[in-house]
Amino acid sequence: MILVTGGCFQGKKEYAFRQFGIRPEEAADGARCPLEAVYEVRMLYHFHEYIRRLMQEEKEFSLEELLERNPRIVLVTNELGYGVVPVDQFDRAYREKTGRVCCKVAQAAQEVHRVVCGLGTVIKHG
Amino acid sequence: MLILVTGGSGSGKSEFAEGLVLQLRTKPYLYIATMYPFDEECHRRIARHRAMRREKEFDTLECYTGLKNIHAEGYGTALLECMSNLTANEMYQEGGAKERCVEEILEGICAVQKQCGHLVVVSNEIFSDGIRYDPETQRYQRYLGQINQKIAEKADLVVEVVYSIPVVHKGNLEKVKWTG
Repeated sequence: MILVTGGCFQGKKEYAFRQFGIRPEEAADGARCPLEAVYEVRMLYHFHEYIRRLMQEEKEFSLEELLERNPRIVLVTNELGYGVVPVDQFDRAYREKTGRVCCKVAQAAQEVHRVVCGLGTVIKHG
Repeated sequence: MLILVTGGSGSGKSEFAEGLVLQLRTKPYLYIATMYPFDEECHRRIARHRAMRREKEFDTLECYTGLKNIHAEGYGTALLECMSNLTANEMYQEGGAKERCVEEILEGICAVQKQCGHLVVVSNEIFSDGIRYDPETQRYQRYLGQINQKIAEKADLVVEVVYSIPVVHKGNLEKVKWTG
């Protein structure tokens, strides 16, 4: 598993396509794909939106199941924690949840890349 | 040399960028100021930055829109601050480039760099909080994100400043010292 993170509009998805030789048709959009897709695709982007959707459906993200069923997945997520605490209760919980899930993912991942201005830095080496 | 300096608000990126210009030692220095003085807060910010530059022999040129039309011939190094202001100006000011602002600003960057040997661009990280902004704000983030990526692609050096500490994403900071 590989995690790619960074702010919005930084070119993270394109970076991951280039870096890992993934074709767009091998990737799913976490904002709209079936929730099961995470177990099948080579790459899932907007992973933070995927987490949001899980929360809306009151489901838990299972890292163990993902590692068992799709251990080579590349997850691409926005980095969400660099702003003021959101006013809305759900937004607060979502931001917190995304952070906690991504910490676990990063711990389990072979590599973690962070993208700024389209440029990636490997912040955890395999 | 084209250099991109980015970072969060209050990270010390302006001071760092000015330091880089001095290290390049290619006079005369031109400061391209983009902040439109809307109110008292802007005036205070501008005054603080002017005081920082006073001793450093910068000429100041105000440019709120239309970067590609400025005259910067004869300068050795230009420092443009800040891309987030210029982008907002181009999007919302009368006579701004509106939906063509990414292309127009990039053309401007090329034009300034052709006239001055070195160009240091200061930009802003506004991309990493948990808020879902309205479509208009997202459009602003998208434009600035695209501009940052395009400049980074061409730049010799890309630095993110984290509370005064430079984090180099591209190029070699040491090289700046003996390029000038």
